[in-house]
Amino acid sequence: MIRFKSLTSRIVFLHIVAVAMTAILMPLILFWLLNSEISDLHHTAMRQQADELAGELQAAPDGTLTLALPRSLKDQYSEAYGRYAYDVVDAAGRVLFSSRADRAPIFPPEVSSSTPVFHDATRKDSIISGASVRKEVNGQTVWIRVAEDLAHRDVIIDDIVANFFRHVGWITIPILLLLLATDIMIFRRAVVPLLRASEEAENIGPARTDIRLPVGRIPREILPLVVAVNQAFDRLEEGFRVQRQFTADAAHELRTPLAILRTRIETLGDRAATEVLHRDIEGMSRIVGQLLEIAELDTLVVDPSETADLQAVCSEVVESIAPLALAGQKEIALGGVDGPVIVNGNAEMIRRAIRNLAENAIRYTRRGTTVEIAVEQQGCVRVTDQGPGIPEGERELVFQRFWRGDRQRADGAGLGLSIVRGVVEDHGGTITVESRPTGGTQFTMCLVLATSAFSGRNKATGSRSPNHLQPTSS
Amino acid sequence: MRLLIVEDNVELAELVAKGLLAAGYSADIVNNAGEAQGALTTINYAALILDLGLPDRDGLSILRNIRHRKDPLPVLVLTARDGVDDRVSGLRSGADDYLVKPFALEELVARLEAILRRPGQLLGSSLRLANLAYDTESHQVFIDGEPRVFSARETSVLEILLRRQGRVVPKKNVEDHIFGLAGDVASNAVEVYVFRLRKQLAEHGAKIQIHTVRGVGYLISEDK
Repeated sequence: MIRFKSLTSRIVFLHIVAVAMTAILMPLILFWLLNSEISDLHHTAMRQQADELAGELQAAPDGTLTLALPRSLKDQYSEAYGRYAYDVVDAAGRVLFSSRADRAPIFPPEVSSSTPVFHDATRKDSIISGASVRKEVNGQTVWIRVAEDLAHRDVIIDDIVANFFRHVGWITIPILLLLLATDIMIFRRAVVPLLRASEEAENIGPARTDIRLPVGRIPREILPLVVAVNQAFDRLEEGFRVQRQFTADAAHELRTPLAILRTRIETLGDRAATEVLHRDIEGMSRIVGQLLEIAELDTLVVDPSETADLQAVCSEVVESIAPLALAGQKEIALGGVDGPVIVNGNAEMIRRAIRNLAENAIRYTRRGTTVEIAVEQQGCVRVTDQGPGIPEGERELVFQRFWRGDRQRADGAGLGLSIVRGVVEDHGGTITVESRPTGGTQFTMCLVLATSAFSGRNKATGSRSPNHLQPTSS
Repeated sequence: MRLLIVEDNVELAELVAKGLLAAGYSADIVNNAGEAQGALTTINYAALILDLGLPDRDGLSILRNIRHRKDPLPVLVLTARDGVDDRVSGLRSGADDYLVKPFALEELVARLEAILRRPGQLLGSSLRLANLAYDTESHQVFIDGEPRVFSARETSVLEILLRRQGRVVPKKNVEDHIFGLAGDVASNAVEVYVFRLRKQLAEHGAKIQIHTVRGVGYLISEDK
C-alpha cells in the first residue's frame, strides 16, 4: 500500500482510483442499459407485427384457415428483402403458413401460453429474434410468429450502439476529471483553517509559550487533535515557567553564599590575603553570572518589534567596564558613530554580548594598550585588542562553550564568546573574527538595522545608566 | 546615623551590619518584608539597604510603598537577579542605587555614602580621595590638608568626579554639571578643563589620577 505524507495527495490518489473505476464501469452499465432498451423496443415491434398478421387470419366456412396479406405486408416479409420472416403453426407444430419458401419453422414448436413469447434462434449464419402470439380462430389454436434477422437490423439503432463509446462514453471522462478538480479545490479550502493553525504553531517557542492554536474554524473531525495539542502546550508552558523560575532561584541561591563568603573575607582584615581571595570570588561570580546568562539565552526569544540603540549600549558597556580595564593598567575607548544606531533586538541581550566581547578583549590585550570599540552606522560593532591574536585554525573554536585558548589561565570558563554567538544568533546577526596585520584580534558583530517605522520608539532602552537611577518616565 | 538592612539571609545581614559598623554606621536587621514595614514606620532611618528576594513579599513592594508616600529615604537595593528580568526595570524607577550580589563591602559603603551625600541627605559635606579632600558646601579643595585654589569650572569638574569616584562619569554628565542648560558648549570645553585640572592636581602633589575613557567620559581614582 502506497503511503502518502500529504493528506491532499492521499485524497487525490484515492479519487483518481475511484474516478478510473467509474470511468470504466459507467459506460459498461450505460451500454448494457441501452442494449436492453433496444431489445425491449424490438420485442414490442415484433409483437405488434404478429398482432397485425393475426388480424389478417381468416377462417373459411369449411373450417380451413386462410391468410390473405395485403401487398405492403407481402413485400415486408418477402425472402428477397430477407429482414423479416413469419410463420403460423398449429397446436401440433405443423406449419400452416410461412413467408419462407421451404416452410421450415422459424422457432421450435410452441408450448401452451396465453401471453406472447419471445424467441431467439440461429439460422444459417444469422441470429434471428422474434415474438410469438397465440390466437383462437374458429375453435382452433394457432401461433403467429414473427422474427427479424438481427444481421439486417435497423441502421439507426446499430449506429447508436456502435457510436456509444465514441460519443457518449468519452464525455464521461472530462466530466469525471472536472469532478476530481472540484474535489481537490474543495479539499484545499477545507484545510485552510489547519494551515492557519500551523502558522500559529510556528510562532510557538520557548519564549512564546502563551500562543495556542485557534479552535474557531477547525473542522469538527480535527478539533480533538488541536485541543490535545493545546493541552500539551499548556503542560510545556508550565515546564518552561518552572525552568525560568529555576534560573532566577539559582541566581539567588548561588549569589547569596558568594556574597556571604566575600563579606566574611573582607571582615578578616588581612588585606594582602583578602585581595587574592577576592579575585577568586570575582572569577567565580563571573562564571555563575555567565551560566545564568546562557540559561536565560536558551529560554529567550527576541520580540521582533524591540529595538536598541547600539551606540548607547556600547557607551554603557565601556562606562561600566572601564574601571576593570584601568585596574589592569589597560585602557578602553569608544569610537565610530556618535549618534544613535538603532538595531532590531533586545538592548539587555546586546549589552551582554558587547560586554563579553569587551571583557575578552581586555583580558588579552597587552598591558598599557587600548581596547577599541567602534560603532558603525550600518549596525556593526568592532572590538579590537592588541593581544597575541587567534591562530587561524582556532577562530571557529573560540565561540564554543567552555573553549579556552590557553588552558593554563584560570580566569575564565570559556563561556563569554559562546554567549556572544548565542545573542547574535537570536538576533539574526553575524559575528566574525580576524587578526589585524598590526597584531591583535578584531571581532566584528553586525546586527540588523531597525526599519524607520520602529526607530526612535525604544531609544531610551539602551541609554539607561546604572549610575543614574532616575524614574524612567522622564 | 541608623540604617535598616532588610535581608532574609541572617548570616549575610549580620556580616553586612558588622562591616557597616566598622565604617561607622549602626544598622538594624530585619529578615522579611512585614518586619521591614513595621521598622520603617517606627524609626526614622537614614537609609535602607533592601534585598529584593524576601520570603514573604517581593522587596520591590516595600520600595513602591516608600515612593508612594513620597518618602525621600535613600534606598540601596541588593539583588541576586540582574538581567532582562523586568524586576530590574522596576528597580530602576525607584531605588537610588543597586548592587548585584556578590558585592564588595567597600563598594557597598562607597555607594551608601554617595547616596547619603546627595542634596538633602544627612552625611557630612566632605568628599575624600587619597590625600585630597573637598568640601561640598564651601567648595574648597584641600591637598594634604592645605587649601588649594582652583577655578570655579575646574572645581565643578572635580566635584562631580569625586562624587562618583571609581566609576566612569560620562562626558555629557560633566558638561551638564558645569554648564547646566546654558546654551551651546564648545565641544572640547570639558577636555580643556580636565587637562588643566590634571595639571594642577599634579603640581600640588595630589595622589590622584583622572583617566580619560575616550568616547565615553572620565574616571577619578587614587594614583597607586
